[in-house]
Amino acid sequence: MEEKTERRYGEGYLEERVLIPRWRAPWPQIVNLLLILAVFYISWWIFQDRRGWLRMYTPYLGYMYTRWILIVLIWMVYIFEFWPFRRRQLETWHPLWKGFIMTCVMTGVLLILIKIFFEGILGNFSMAYFNPARSMKLPGITEFFAIEYASLACLMFAAIASWLSPSWPVAMENVPWQNLKQPVLGWTVLIVTFFIGTIVYLCTMHPHMGILSYPWQRFASIAPPYWEKFANTVSGNFHVSWIMCCTITVWLYETIWERYPFKLIKHDTLRRLSVFFGIIVIAWCFFFFLHFAQELWWGPAIRGTRMDFSPDWRWLHVGETMVFFLIPALFLTFYCNNWPTKYSAPVNWLIRTLIAIFGGMAIYWIYYNIGHLTLGTQKGYAQPEQFPMIPTIWLINIMLINHWFMDNWPGWRKAKPEEAALIRKEKAPTVSAAKLAPAGIIVGIVIGIIIYFIAIWLFPILGKLKWVYT
Amino acid sequence: MDNEKKNEDKGMTRRDFAKSLVVGGAIGAIGMMGLYSYSPWRKKHFAKVEPKQIDIGECKSIKIINISETSWFDNKVLMGDIKGAGGLLVNQYEYNWPPFSDIKGKLGKGSYETGIKHIKQYLPNNLEKAWQFQMENAVHPENAGGYACLIDVELLDGSHKKILLDSGWAYNWMDECFKREGIDKMLMKKEIDFLVISHEHFDHFWGLPVTLKYYPDITIYVPEGFYPEGKQYLKDSGHRGKVITTKPGLTPLFPGCALYTFAIPIICRVYGEQSLYFNVKDKGLVSVTGCCHQSIIQFATTGRNTIKFKKLYGVYGGLHISPFEDWDPKYDDLVIAFKNYDFEKVGCNHCTGIVTAKKFIEAGYPVVKGTARFRSKDTAYLGNGDIIEF
Repeated sequence: MEEKTERRYGEGYLEERVLIPRWRAPWPQIVNLLLILAVFYISWWIFQDRRGWLRMYTPYLGYMYTRWILIVLIWMVYIFEFWPFRRRQLETWHPLWKGFIMTCVMTGVLLILIKIFFEGILGNFSMAYFNPARSMKLPGITEFFAIEYASLACLMFAAIASWLSPSWPVAMENVPWQNLKQPVLGWTVLIVTFFIGTIVYLCTMHPHMGILSYPWQRFASIAPPYWEKFANTVSGNFHVSWIMCCTITVWLYETIWERYPFKLIKHDTLRRLSVFFGIIVIAWCFFFFLHFAQELWWGPAIRGTRMDFSPDWRWLHVGETMVFFLIPALFLTFYCNNWPTKYSAPVNWLIRTLIAIFGGMAIYWIYYNIGHLTLGTQKGYAQPEQFPMIPTIWLINIMLINHWFMDNWPGWRKAKPEEAALIRKEKAPTVSAAKLAPAGIIVGIVIGIIIYFIAIWLFPILGKLKWVYT
Repeated sequence: MDNEKKNEDKGMTRRDFAKSLVVGGAIGAIGMMGLYSYSPWRKKHFAKVEPKQIDIGECKSIKIINISETSWFDNKVLMGDIKGAGGLLVNQYEYNWPPFSDIKGKLGKGSYETGIKHIKQYLPNNLEKAWQFQMENAVHPENAGGYACLIDVELLDGSHKKILLDSGWAYNWMDECFKREGIDKMLMKKEIDFLVISHEHFDHFWGLPVTLKYYPDITIYVPEGFYPEGKQYLKDSGHRGKVITTKPGLTPLFPGCALYTFAIPIICRVYGEQSLYFNVKDKGLVSVTGCCHQSIIQFATTGRNTIKFKKLYGVYGGLHISPFEDWDPKYDDLVIAFKNYDFEKVGCNHCTGIVTAKKFIEAGYPVVKGTARFRSKDTAYLGNGDIIEF
């Protein structure tokens, strides 16, 4: 009773929610997967597909909305913990109704954000490129590209938000405001992450927009951008990519890694800072590695080319590839109860990571082989106006709506209080904390280095095989 | 009991060791990813590309007549259509653009089948009638122009080969341009050896019946990747000659001239493009392109890795940088990197974009300026009716 009065909104709802599969495995997983794919395909046809109804895959317009949907979902669940919805509503509403209402709220927030904040406020009072109508007043700018440029700027902002918004609750554990109640906590974290995001945007993405105009806006932005020599491109895709790697790493850390290894750090401040910066370090490791993998697979990038040999596409493709790995990771967490859970934390971590890697590679292969037959996209790797992050994030958005808003309906149902108590009791921690042997770690490091070199030896060989239908 | 305990301890140790291996393995692998993957040492893993140095022979000189570089006359109108139809990935045959318009065709709701049936009977000999239907029914028929150029190659023995690169878009405009440059007569006299269609895009390919009106059995080269609609249009246009589909890679045509086909995805649902290399004696390699979606840098690099020649000498054609007068910082990468290729003569136009031509001029590149006649908009690049020689 006391708990209920304390938890007026959705605080702790996701952690305390106990979901029971309606049928024996693998039927709930299959049913939900089919439902998600069906919703994905129907909604793709309605909103994105070039052959469909609204045809928002122009590409940047649809890309921008796809990314911001993800952020608004994160805000609603991770930052605001379902506020203004009440705990009672979360617990008693039918998942379908809850999904519908919350998706409507998400849409409202999305439109307010894009139309009022970006177009209306930023576009009218700060940077003209956020507002298509204002850009169109400039000579030579067509309506199509005015919308595309504005969408590009918004989606670049979204990339940063997709990293920072979940980072504060996950890495910084909402400190120093963790004891505030909703919605004060939500607003505080939103404002802080938005503020940091704005600084990151100005330092990473604004110079990209600054040289989008002719002549370069040298008074308004750093031109050519400071990263040119390091990244071998002046394109901001370099930043979009490492930031996407951070986003995916946050989610891997939160889901299949169960916050290992940093949760072993007992000192609170050290742990929080280690998580926040550790995620960035790990993300940059992935970032460099996937870029190198492409160099080995296809050959080094050639500056000034278009498509799959251009440095800007190579960087962007690193971020795109990372999103492919996130899909199986989320599926494992949302629908497979983070399988496996019976081994020690490092072994569970390893198995899940391998599933995410090979699952991601399989989805990547499927996308590039049948995407053009099903999604209305163009065949081949590097159509410059085509972004695999649109369908992959669109799919992730639907998974998040199903898992967060709809309690995994229809494959699962929420446990009744007495069932939940019993299950919680049964679910006492089974994972033993790792007792680590220094010799094992040293041998492991050597093995890890050997695996790395085997991988980079293998990539050029695999790259010569025909993997993708063209 | 003691033994059991020992075994248990031993088992625990083994498990701990296994856990430690995993932790160490992750540290080792992820650490190497970060430390090695973008270091200068990584470059030693790159496969060495041995240039093939294929000898395609030499020609004495080439002269290019720009028949038309204005694919559309009003960029705003074209982009309005693209926006209205759903963006840059929409299938070009669905626009209800001429010449594939249905009766009162609606933007983005057309198809090849619904369009061709209204004009098939007029192709290729009654193009006025076919175009009249477009003027009454199509989406913005007045905006259609086209891209085509004539390449006159002088061989070492003094003889000439003539290549028509692309056939434009609007029947009326292309016919007017052909007549202006005397292409119609050359075609009728069969002085043009073959037609090269660089790629399937509307502004390069859909004006095909204009060429066929004068020379229906001309040999046509198309790149691999044409969609069924494009292949059918080759037949429906009244072509009676040979169609040669070039596979990705090099296709030598005659001494000093070769085609190179790239298997690449292109906007408006098009796949594959071919461009031309000419090895001009005492000068070097000249690249002639329709749109060059593969990028001029890629084309030059491919030339370096494939063909035996003295140096990169010249460029002519659309370089597909800012075709819609749009911009992206990655295009600046091209402008910046272009200097490394040391071209001596740059004759660009069409989808290169006026902004790009201006940036090239500002960067000091040897851009050959034009005369801005016959509806070309700017002297920053070669316009309609202009001639360049290499």
